[in-house]
Amino acid sequence: MIMKSSSSPLASLLPALAVLVVLALVPALGPSNRILSLAISAGINIVALYGLAVLFGQTGILSMGHAALVGVGAYTAAILARDLGIGFWVALPLGSLLAAAVAAIVGVPSLRVSGHHFVIMTFAFGQLLSIVLTNGGAFTGAATGLDLQLPVTWFGRPAGDLVPYYFIVIAFVAISAVASWLIINSSYGRTLRAIRENEKLAASLGINVGRHKIGAFVVSGLFAGVSGVLLAYFFRHISPNQFSAFPSIYLALMVMIGGARLLLGPIAGGILVSFLPEMLNLDPVESRILYGICLIAVILLLPNGLIAGLFDGLRALGRRLVGSAPRPNVPTDGTSETA
Amino acid sequence: MRSLLLRSASAALCLAASAYSASAQDADTIKIGVVAAESGAFVSAGHTLPAGVGLAVKEINDAGGVKIGDKTYKIELLKRDDRTDIATAIAATQELVRDDKVAAIFGSESHDFTLAMAKITQPAKVIHFAGNSTLAKVLNPQSVAPGGEDHYLFQSEPQEFQRSGSTARGVLSLLTPLVGHPLKKSVVIVGNDATGQFLTSYYVKALKAEGQEVPEVIAYPPDTTDFSPFLTRAKSLNPDVVHFWYNGDSTLTALPQALELGVAPSYFLFGVDPGIWKERGLSADVPVAMSCVPICWGESSNANAKTYFSNYFAAGAPKGVTSSVSLLYYDYVHFLADAWEKAGTLDPDATVAALESMHHKGVVSDDLSFNASHQVTHATEVCAAAPGGAITCAMQQPPAEAPN
Repeated sequence: MIMKSSSSPLASLLPALAVLVVLALVPALGPSNRILSLAISAGINIVALYGLAVLFGQTGILSMGHAALVGVGAYTAAILARDLGIGFWVALPLGSLLAAAVAAIVGVPSLRVSGHHFVIMTFAFGQLLSIVLTNGGAFTGAATGLDLQLPVTWFGRPAGDLVPYYFIVIAFVAISAVASWLIINSSYGRTLRAIRENEKLAASLGINVGRHKIGAFVVSGLFAGVSGVLLAYFFRHISPNQFSAFPSIYLALMVMIGGARLLLGPIAGGILVSFLPEMLNLDPVESRILYGICLIAVILLLPNGLIAGLFDGLRALGRRLVGSAPRPNVPTDGTSETA
Repeated sequence: MRSLLLRSASAALCLAASAYSASAQDADTIKIGVVAAESGAFVSAGHTLPAGVGLAVKEINDAGGVKIGDKTYKIELLKRDDRTDIATAIAATQELVRDDKVAAIFGSESHDFTLAMAKITQPAKVIHFAGNSTLAKVLNPQSVAPGGEDHYLFQSEPQEFQRSGSTARGVLSLLTPLVGHPLKKSVVIVGNDATGQFLTSYYVKALKAEGQEVPEVIAYPPDTTDFSPFLTRAKSLNPDVVHFWYNGDSTLTALPQALELGVAPSYFLFGVDPGIWKERGLSADVPVAMSCVPICWGESSNANAKTYFSNYFAAGAPKGVTSSVSLLYYDYVHFLADAWEKAGTLDPDATVAALESMHHKGVVSDDLSFNASHQVTHATEVCAAAPGGAITCAMQQPPAEAPN
């Protein structure tokens, strides 16, 4: 049975856009360049997280090799700039398409299996790519990596300062949020959710489960590729370590903590994991302990992530305050209807 | 009312005086920054950077400061922990360069962090010292020339062919009498990461230049703890020496396993200080050579280094496998201060010109200077522990030219 929510599809997009408008105003508050730099890094992660959210939140597939797809985008940008003099704006679609193509190549054999077997396959892919990049000789810069010399141009002028690049990243976060929202609220999104809820039932309804799962992986690759190009042009030096197992685990952690089904989830996860060590002055060991505790707490108490849990809590509080009866089940996955 | 006016006037005067004092303080201070891993995976080498730079800053300030023209400046050191995370290293560098307006930056210990940091320091004309021999990839006479993209970047570690050359020569010359027969065959076991790959290519050439047969380089994944597959492979090649060429922490995990398996009649541990060997009560029934980056704190044959390390540890720095890495930074704070004094200005271009033309008497060498690619040259210390426990050390000069 399909239950219609009283809220319009747009209502699930508005909170994310409102948060992004607020984030776009951050430079006006005069933050330090350290904060701005960390915010750019967080924004770049959030773009990749939207792809992971489509894969995990909508399709129910968790990838532990997502940083490798980010790496494909980053290396595409660096190699195009070095060998062909192709700059940022052209590298963006090319990096994105190549990452999607790699996702398709990896997806075809990997998605013949499911569940934790797929997680292991994607993890292995991440490690394999790192080995390939490390041993790629002059073409990939081997373990030392590649430099990126071309500047990012912003309305025809080099965006040498952090603020213009911050706006570029925020714009891509907004595009990613809107793209995710379009996917979630399309018939394709509904198909993915049907697969997530019950693969066999979806197949019995005539849905080509394998093809759609590969499709979701390819879509997540598109986001990862954009994130990689943004990262390469921000760091200006990339090396295989940046795309190995740990960064992939961190991306999965971010999306699970923030929540993969709401549009605010990737934003919350990206910001939390990037800024928590900074705000609490935690060293990496303490951070990992804290993330582990957060993850356990989220899995046990807030299975749809922090933001969905927050909304549920607010809703319950509102009901208690007005003393009204509980409303029908309102979706927590950013959709306007639920099965 | 009168009292209120008086109080207001006093408060205004106090505020004005504080503001003047603050601006005078800023005007009399040169800010320098250090970015290093004070936590995370690279902490072993990382914590030595702020310790070495901090000691030099204290010595300079205690001696009165830096005299530039007719004005004397104190140096203010701003330390930033990169948490072994490249995004944090970049954020810290952005903060130091754009917000704190530092005149110079030291670090980091990780080559790819340094290369990314240089993309921020160089356009901002901030003098940047880093002890990464991998900088040879970007430093050349064109890139460091005025207007070049790395004009303000300096490599405070010798070129890798020099370090590898002096290390290989030192290891073989110290081990040969202890083993009792000529050493002909070497197997290199190395961590398969950026630094390991880069260093190994040079070390193998250096060994071959010393007449060694090197049948195989065995690479192990970083963070390996069970070395038995790699050691078994090495043993099958019947080496005279097994060289654990990077890194110090992994090496100390691998050696006991190698001794247990009886892989070779002698070993070399790169980046392990004889001080650690003694402090941990390590022993072996075969000769074991060790090398330091660049001079050992445990049993140094260098008188200057003994004084330096005594001050370094007295300042609270812990004794670690790679404490000597601090020397890749300490000397260059003094060198930079001398360059500012010689240039008579803090202008970065004049400072670079002074650094390029000067010779500095430091701890690692009595004659430190930068070549046309902004790289230094100095000796490396190599030690060997005999089966009985006696340790001997010697400074090894680098080869004049890279082997073919």
